[in-house]
Amino acid sequence: MTTTIDVAPDVHDATPQPRGLQVRRSRGDRAFFGGVSFSGLVVLSIMVAVGLFLAIQAAQALRVTGIWSFLVTAEWETDRGKFGISAVLLGTVLIAAVAVAVAFPISLGTALFITEVAPNWLRSALIALVDLMAAVPSVVYGLWGLFLLEGQIVGLSRWINTWFGWIPLFKVAGADPNSPLASATVYTASIFIAGVVVAMMVMPIQCVVMREVFSQVPVGEREGAFALGSTRWGMIRVVALPFGRGGIIGGSMLGLGRALGETIAVLLILSPSFNINFHILQAGGNSVSYLIASRYNETGGVGLSALFAAGLALFAVTLVVNSTASWFVARSRSGASSEA
Amino acid sequence: MIDRHHSTRRRSVVVAALLTLGFALCLCIGAPPSATARSYQRISGEGSSWAANAIDAMRVNVRKFGITVDYNPSGSTAGRKNFLNGTVDFAASDIPFQLNPEDGSAPEKPAPNSYAYIPVVAGGTSFMYNLQINGKRVTNLRLSGQNISKIFTGTITMWNDPAIQADNPGLVMPARTIVPVVRSDGSGSSAQFTMWMISQYPDIWNDFCNRAGKAPACGYTSFYPTISGMIAQSGDLGIAGYVSQGFAEGAIGYVNYSYALGSQFPVVKLLNKAGYYTEPTPQNVAVSLLQAKINTDATDPAVYLTQQLDGVYNDTDSRNYPLSSYSYFILPTTVAGQFNTDKGQTLGAFTYYAMCEAQQDSASLGYSPLPINLVQAGFDQIRKIPGVVVKDIDVTTCHNPTFSPDGSNLLADTAPKPQACDQQGAYQCPDGTAGVSNVPTAILASAQIPVAAPTGDATPAATPTGDGTPAAAPSGEGTPAANGTPAANGTPAANGAPAAGGAPTTTTPAGGNASPNGSGSKAFVPVLLVPTGQNCDPDSGTCPAASGAPAPAAAAPAAVSPVASAVLPQSSGWNTSLALMLLIVVLTIGLVLAPAVAWRHLSNKAPA
Repeated sequence: MTTTIDVAPDVHDATPQPRGLQVRRSRGDRAFFGGVSFSGLVVLSIMVAVGLFLAIQAAQALRVTGIWSFLVTAEWETDRGKFGISAVLLGTVLIAAVAVAVAFPISLGTALFITEVAPNWLRSALIALVDLMAAVPSVVYGLWGLFLLEGQIVGLSRWINTWFGWIPLFKVAGADPNSPLASATVYTASIFIAGVVVAMMVMPIQCVVMREVFSQVPVGEREGAFALGSTRWGMIRVVALPFGRGGIIGGSMLGLGRALGETIAVLLILSPSFNINFHILQAGGNSVSYLIASRYNETGGVGLSALFAAGLALFAVTLVVNSTASWFVARSRSGASSEA
Repeated sequence: MIDRHHSTRRRSVVVAALLTLGFALCLCIGAPPSATARSYQRISGEGSSWAANAIDAMRVNVRKFGITVDYNPSGSTAGRKNFLNGTVDFAASDIPFQLNPEDGSAPEKPAPNSYAYIPVVAGGTSFMYNLQINGKRVTNLRLSGQNISKIFTGTITMWNDPAIQADNPGLVMPARTIVPVVRSDGSGSSAQFTMWMISQYPDIWNDFCNRAGKAPACGYTSFYPTISGMIAQSGDLGIAGYVSQGFAEGAIGYVNYSYALGSQFPVVKLLNKAGYYTEPTPQNVAVSLLQAKINTDATDPAVYLTQQLDGVYNDTDSRNYPLSSYSYFILPTTVAGQFNTDKGQTLGAFTYYAMCEAQQDSASLGYSPLPINLVQAGFDQIRKIPGVVVKDIDVTTCHNPTFSPDGSNLLADTAPKPQACDQQGAYQCPDGTAGVSNVPTAILASAQIPVAAPTGDATPAATPTGDGTPAAAPSGEGTPAANGTPAANGTPAANGAPAAGGAPTTTTPAGGNASPNGSGSKAFVPVLLVPTGQNCDPDSGTCPAASGAPAPAAAAPAAVSPVASAVLPQSSGWNTSLALMLLIVVLTIGLVLAPAVAWRHLSNKAPA
């Protein structure tokens, strides 16, 4: 393996010359190297193949509308050649954004609590619980959201709308907080509720990644902070958070990736519409995975091709998100700032 | 020592042998299904969620014969699509293949002569709603077809719209927004509903179609167009699930009658051309479908047995429910893809069961059993399945409640006439509907039919209203408020707003179709299944109003206060739980920030 070793500079020599390293690989090394690079290439080629397959399948639909029109049209009438992804993609992004906004503080807090605060007996129980949350199938979350959460959270939606309705994001058309007979249904089946349910699914993933990173905080630095008189919060702020920054960002982005693709929970809750709707508390919205799951069974020809085009768009967005995530993680390597 | 060792080993061998034997036995015991499964292969179907409750009951019941059927109620459109793709062995669909779709969608292209339709169950597309007045659930809402159409096209948006109020003289309709809940997936219910709307109220539909941006493809459609203010849900179950939620007050959605029964929710009594508001009970659906025109051209499998429902929409029988229809199985008639003759044998056995024995259960589920001619036609269609083991079934052994020796539809013949208070006009019945048929709703005193002697228990719906009805009925089979409810209810200002659009309404006195079939069929009566609250005695033909609670008595004290809305508390957005929530947020933030602030404060102080 090619590893460079930092040779301590010779104190006596004014101009130190690093010793040249000769790499001689054994047969085992070579086999390992070959195997690893092969699987790496396979993963890469599968990704490329998926992208290519989607692009080829999508070509028919994109030829009907044109790429630009496909990106900006907020309608889905495939049989009449009028369809586009803008509203759907916006819905996808909004759902994912709500999910991450809700899940991030919870998972960060849980991860910090588990690694830094909780007593030992509680720690293992909490870890098991969070892992359990990750193992619950998403349809269960969906049903939970539909039959329990939706009824309970309407009050919160109404409250946010009542007090923060002046922010366009929280505006709800047709809502009248002053009317006792106003229907609560305008707050149901919304992007917000779908986002909250997806947050429950995203949270454990984020939490696991963050917990892993926090548990690797060097004991020496942690003890050092305490030795210098730091409170626990001070230690978290000065040692744990900077050390784990990469993991925090990486975990959130991983969660965002999952939130973008979540289907069944969204399918159960959201009332589909193809208008551009950025009022997240208002009934109606859409997401790419929802669109594909609900229409796949019912279309053929151009309609099917259009679904592939939507899939391609989702694929591209996920790719961008994940690349950004890895770029972030690579830039702020865990522990980099605290080691300095 | 050695000996003991030996014995342990022997024992373990014996144990192992016993275990193996036991395991084998278990397999054998568990095997019966798999032993018969040699003759029956697992088959799969997909489609209509409208008919899914009936199909599910069939699936469960045939399991005892070793037949395993998987059914996915993902909507009629998906069922037909996947049947064409060859991924399922049969499809269930409320409408036939869309060879020439009218909504601009791509035509479906089944190979000619590769499929056959059989009607499998009849039922009513009902309007399930969630509405309260003064905190009490409304269970007896009535609507004209025009108002239903306007609700589902967004032109009537409030429950207290004068047109709706006119349909419900006994209720003080609340000033609440109507939330129409429609199907988001490709659905036969949507197709049936829009077909009816186009036939009856083309202007309302076309206007909506334009507003929803669908024009010019404004034919009937499986994909209900949505506009702002509507909620779209997937499947009948999705709609029923949404409407039955506590928050969904004001919501109304179209589902099969069986879903309203299952959710214990009421359905709208829909105005028919005879001027009566009716519920899609199995009997009413049976009566209505007497007017369905079934295609009898057996030479063309693309249309054979399909339905033409204009007669149902315009039927002037007082018991008619306009949105009654049949739902179909689409059966393969050629071997193709994953479908082979082994599966054909299973499918044949399953469909024989569906056409014969299963029909006696459909009424208890909220569907209506098939009439004898369709069952016989269905038997002939089943013969076309490749691999089917043909049975010669005597239809009288099916215990189908519609069968009578003289060939008439017994269920339809014995269907009770609607009560006088269900007639369009100044009166309204308090009785509940569908899933809450035992929960009457209090009605205004002015909308109650004046009762002379409210105690009389069996007085047929106590109709001495001055329109001098009954008299003619008591012959035997006839029904209480029967044949001659003469037009003018004689009562005040009948219907300020002419609710029914263009319907001949009040002046058509049913009578014509009543056919109080003589005593000839009486011997066969006992099979009659009456699942809903209307406990009608098949012998006397009497139907006491509301089985559970004596209607007039329950209604009398109620006299709804007309100031319905003023009582409700002003919800300004604040209440204790919200205050608590805010407190928790503040505390959480405080607990997170406080140590940091304190630490910083202290650390700033320390050097000084």
